[in-house]
Amino acid sequence: MTAVQRRVIQAGVLAVVALACLAEVLYIFPIRGGILWQLELPGGPDVVLGSGFIRSFSLRQWPDVLVEITPGLAFAFSGLIAWSVRPRNRVGLLMMGVGVGLLVGVQPGAKGSPAFSELLAQILSPWPAIDYPWVSIALSIVGALGVVMLIHLLLAFPGGRLVSGVDRALVRSFYILLPLAAVLGEAAMNVSPEALGVAFSSNIFVYANTVPNLIYLACLVLGLALVIRRWLLGGRARRRSLAPVFWSVIPVVFAFLPWSVIEIAGGLSLKGKGSAAALFDPLSTAAHLSPLLLIALPVGFLIGLLRTGLDMSSIGDLVVRLSSGLTPDQLQPALARALQDPSLRVLYWLPTLGFFADLEGRRVELPDPDSERAVSVLGDPTAPVAALVYESSLVHEGQLLDTAAAAVNMALENARLQVQLRAQLEEVRQSRVRLVEAADSERQRVERDLHDGAQQQLVTLLLSMQAAKAEALKQGDRRVAELIDANISALREALDELRELARGIHPTILSQAGLMPAIQSLADRSPIPVDVKGAFGDTRLAPPIEAALYFVVAEAITNAVKHSKGKRMRVQVGRNLGLATIEVSDDGVGGADVSRGSGLLGLTDRVAAVGGRLVVTSDAGKGTTINAEVPCG
Amino acid sequence: MRVIVADDSLLFREGLTRVLEGAGFEVVGQASNVAELDRILAQENASVVILDIRMPPTQTDEGLVAAKRIRRQHPEMGVLLLSQYVESHHAFELLGESPDHVGYLLKDRFADLNEFADAVRRVGNGGSALDPLVVSQLMGRKRSRDLIEDLTDRERSVLELMAQGRSNDAIASALKISPKTLEAHIGTIYSKLGLEPSGGDHRRVLAVLNYLRSS
Repeated sequence: MTAVQRRVIQAGVLAVVALACLAEVLYIFPIRGGILWQLELPGGPDVVLGSGFIRSFSLRQWPDVLVEITPGLAFAFSGLIAWSVRPRNRVGLLMMGVGVGLLVGVQPGAKGSPAFSELLAQILSPWPAIDYPWVSIALSIVGALGVVMLIHLLLAFPGGRLVSGVDRALVRSFYILLPLAAVLGEAAMNVSPEALGVAFSSNIFVYANTVPNLIYLACLVLGLALVIRRWLLGGRARRRSLAPVFWSVIPVVFAFLPWSVIEIAGGLSLKGKGSAAALFDPLSTAAHLSPLLLIALPVGFLIGLLRTGLDMSSIGDLVVRLSSGLTPDQLQPALARALQDPSLRVLYWLPTLGFFADLEGRRVELPDPDSERAVSVLGDPTAPVAALVYESSLVHEGQLLDTAAAAVNMALENARLQVQLRAQLEEVRQSRVRLVEAADSERQRVERDLHDGAQQQLVTLLLSMQAAKAEALKQGDRRVAELIDANISALREALDELRELARGIHPTILSQAGLMPAIQSLADRSPIPVDVKGAFGDTRLAPPIEAALYFVVAEAITNAVKHSKGKRMRVQVGRNLGLATIEVSDDGVGGADVSRGSGLLGLTDRVAAVGGRLVVTSDAGKGTTINAEVPCG
Repeated sequence: MRVIVADDSLLFREGLTRVLEGAGFEVVGQASNVAELDRILAQENASVVILDIRMPPTQTDEGLVAAKRIRRQHPEMGVLLLSQYVESHHAFELLGESPDHVGYLLKDRFADLNEFADAVRRVGNGGSALDPLVVSQLMGRKRSRDLIEDLTDRERSVLELMAQGRSNDAIASALKISPKTLEAHIGTIYSKLGLEPSGGDHRRVLAVLNYLRSS
């Protein structure tokens, strides 16, 4: 976030705060009939205030105003301070959001701050299209968002990020549910049944208001449950750091609960509005004063944030986990959790290979440190052990990082050994692929050399001998002509052999026409009848895969011809779910041994090099079946 | 009969020209690549083009591509494709739907001069010449499905020669049997394989090849 954006947000928050205060102050000194309060609310103030807790306009005095704006102000200013102290921690932003929500948003039942909404309505009065219901719906959304941000804040504190997936999912759904409930409730109260042109009974109308309130209450209870769960699962160390915040939550719950209870009870059991206040008078009084309790929370957050910095207690959790044995795979998530940075990566230095690698042993370049990512190399700079790549906001937590790094030092050494092993395996795998590819292209080159060289020369020689024979015949020398003829036959045999040799080295039809014609060609040439079934689809496979599968079939047929005594072979090919498969079977004597025949062993390696698998089934008397499957994307 | 020879080796072109001229053909042009061949085709009138499957620049199947194109552009001209290897896949690709004016032979088939000259003439006269190797591979493919097993050895020989594109006279003299006996064999083959009796040599080749090709 740029400095300009930060300034704009800060100024915006301050402006909203100022406007809210102004509205409250003006509300105490209404200039009725004057410029400010010209707006006559449809149905009078009672309709706006809804069926629940009723606060009389005329009774508003300075204490009311203080009760009204203090929690919001406390959150907004605590948020501003928190944000300027820890600009990359979202806690500050969330606190400001809560503050704005409390100051200008409309809460269900309590009706938040009608003063602000009326001021806004006044400001907007030149535009009649934006009438009062729209303004109050908008403000109720702001109010609902404030509540969600409070839950978000409770769950994300102190790191500012939601670490568990459950938390993330629930908070996301709250961001949708609560504003929706607020809009529904607001619409139910501001739109008169007559205006809808439908004969609603007043009961339906009251229920329409109750359902959103139930959603509200459910979200609050669920949010509270999550906070308690966090507390319970946190372990002793975390509990200690969360304690001030946790204890400050309790008054907040009491601040919110009366509203909801009154709203729901009122909605369910009461027809008239006045009796609600009468029945729940003690609760109403509690609700009336409850906003003051909210001050505890922002102060608790601010103190918690400033005192602990990043949650040191999670390092304690990390140490506890380490002592119970942490596998290399668990190390990165554990560190990410301890440092509250889900994007944290552990990279291991591989001295023999001279690069950093991830847990899979894949080479990873260290990112250039910038505004987003920071890098810490652990261990002696000349002989590093590992590197941590993390969000650069953590740079301010140097001590924390060092503590975490020291805690995981032993585990890192172990993990590095494992990574080194994996990297070497990966290296070997890749070198095997390169070997096969090199062999393939070498075969192709040899075939081409034979074709353009020896084969072509022999054919040309054949032509010359043909001419010589014609010449001999012309001169009537039958003996020489016969001699030449014998040579021609020998030469043709040599050509045939050379042709078969070249084809075995690399079949041109494979690169030219593809795997299927090449397999069919093998089958056509086989002394044992071979039935070919299936297809690989319309697109060609990658050349190394085609070559691997081709040689599987070629070797299988060669072996069957040599050893199986079979009468018949079958090649079944297919391709689905990203897997190319080939099954070559014969009806011969079976008993083939992969480990003995170097041909089959070589095939196993070749198929493995392209990431596939070769299985030979060859029970004595049951023929031989060779299955190959290769992932082909 | 006028012939054009296309191959990227000068020695081969010269040698083949000499062999062809010795057998009574008139070689009216030599091309070392496809572009040259097209120029000659535009100027000269020929009955047969003999070309190699591997041609510059990639030395893979430029000749096959050119052969297919020439067949489309000059349906009355015979095209004889030569190759160091013969593949049934390429054969069917070259033949397409009609086995007229077309041949596909191993590159060293000229060593048997009479057979080679006969093949060139057949192609030039509108017939076909399919390499015996291709035909025997196709027969092998059918054999794997028991379909050829019912034929006698003699009938199988007749079927192979028919598939190569030989005329009745040529088959009869090659097998040293009378034309009448040959007719009888052909009738038996057709009924055993369930083929419809068809007219002239050309149509017969098509029927036999389609049968061998079908799976």
